[in-house]
Amino acid sequence: MIELKDISTIYDDFLALDNVNLEIKDGEFVSLVGPSGAGKSTLLGLMTRELTPSKGEILIDGINIADLSHAEVPLLRRKIGTIFQDFKLLSRKNAFENVAFALEVSGAEPEEINEDVPKVLNIVGLADKAKNFPHQLSGGEKQRLAIARALIHRPRILLADEPTGNLDMLNGYDVVKLLMKINEFGTTVILATHNREIVNIVGRRVISMEKGRVVRDQIEQGKYII
Amino acid sequence: MRKAFKRIFRTGWLNFKRNSYLSFGTTGVMVLVLLLFSGLMVLNYVSGQIVSGLENKVDVSVYFKNDASEDQVLAVKQDLESQSAVARVTYISKEKALADFKAKHAGDALIQQSLAELADNPLQSSLNIKAKDSTQYASIVTFLEGNKFRPVVDKINFYENEAVINRVQSISRGVGNWGLVVTLILAFIAIMVTFNTIRLTIYNQKNEIEIMRLVGGSNWHIKAPYLIEGGLYGIFAAVIAIVVFYPALWFVSSKVGVLIPGISLIGYFVTNVLQFVPLIFALGIALGIISSWIAIRRFLKV
Repeated sequence: MIELKDISTIYDDFLALDNVNLEIKDGEFVSLVGPSGAGKSTLLGLMTRELTPSKGEILIDGINIADLSHAEVPLLRRKIGTIFQDFKLLSRKNAFENVAFALEVSGAEPEEINEDVPKVLNIVGLADKAKNFPHQLSGGEKQRLAIARALIHRPRILLADEPTGNLDMLNGYDVVKLLMKINEFGTTVILATHNREIVNIVGRRVISMEKGRVVRDQIEQGKYII
Repeated sequence: MRKAFKRIFRTGWLNFKRNSYLSFGTTGVMVLVLLLFSGLMVLNYVSGQIVSGLENKVDVSVYFKNDASEDQVLAVKQDLESQSAVARVTYISKEKALADFKAKHAGDALIQQSLAELADNPLQSSLNIKAKDSTQYASIVTFLEGNKFRPVVDKINFYENEAVINRVQSISRGVGNWGLVVTLILAFIAIMVTFNTIRLTIYNQKNEIEIMRLVGGSNWHIKAPYLIEGGLYGIFAAVIAIVVFYPALWFVSSKVGVLIPGISLIGYFVTNVLQFVPLIFALGIALGIISSWIAIRRFLKV
């Protein structure tokens, strides 16, 4: 359960988020829509404590994440998987190593890495491309690899910031289908996008944002409406 | 856990290796600092040797008149020995003084002859006094001047080395202080240079660091490789400094040995190799780690 209470974020003079209140339940699939600059990315950044709000509090499973110590922040980030428009893959590492990296830096044992990485590559359909480097993968495959990396810690929440932004319709559709599959296994998915078709295909809860405010919250069978 | 350490060390090593040119400069500055520090240690040792050599030569001799009895002399000796400033008192009787004198001039026929012609022993009995440290001779002399047996004392010889000792000490202190200032300045520069190198590494690895944070990499996993990198600069600098220092010392040692007899620089630093080498390594590693620590604090957000 994610709760945002009276969240405002101010960058210098710019009001990125203006008194946002939201509640997202476990296992939900939420599409966060709105034009660029509406505050979608800021909202996601707040949940991983990349950013801190100027006002208000964010509770994840009842814990105010502003209270977490430096050492606890990585643990929060392992509970929350994140994927981005630009994939953020390491070009010098192959697919297997890109995913393994996430486990290595959290101190996992090699046995665990050798067991878990092929499994998760299999889930995203890249089992046969484990040795390929990012430049040898298509855009859709890169994003699926990023999803595999985000899933490696078995996160309870998956944040997707414009995951289809660099992809054509077909590849974008594949990625969203994968996100829906992940959601069916019980992971909460928050998808920030301004891709109308994708949102309408998903047809789940849609939260519309504009100028830092939540202007519409369609709980079920939501559509992209501006 | 072992795997994690391996990863941290490997990453640190790769950072060090890939920075080749920068590493060269960074290590070079550190080598200078360590060599300067070693030079200070040499200076310290040399001046210490000179001062203690001079101090050993200082003593006070009290000569007694011919009519002084042995009891009186021994009473003075006892008085002196009860003084806290006194380290040792040696009694030289008239007979011993004569024997010493004869032995000293055994080859001199004229002196031997003149001695034989004398009916009496012309030499005086004396006490030779060593103080615990060189600053206390003046007070011993004052004590003797006020002693109740002063009338039987002929003269008090105070071989004045104190001025020389003070001079050597003040010169070595002056050189040492300036050396320390230069070493500190250079150490500061070395820290700045290393800091900048690590900063560049951090900048070059922005993406990797961002991803590490993103996937919940522990703070230790993100930061430690940069500390290792800094430590490696220190280790390499220490190795080079030691490789340069010992041959240079060997070269200088024989020249210093000619100037100041009884001093062996190379001997001293070879005997104390187990203290000296770890000290240089510790200093190098500390410099490197302090620099990367500052760079991490300033530029690495986790």
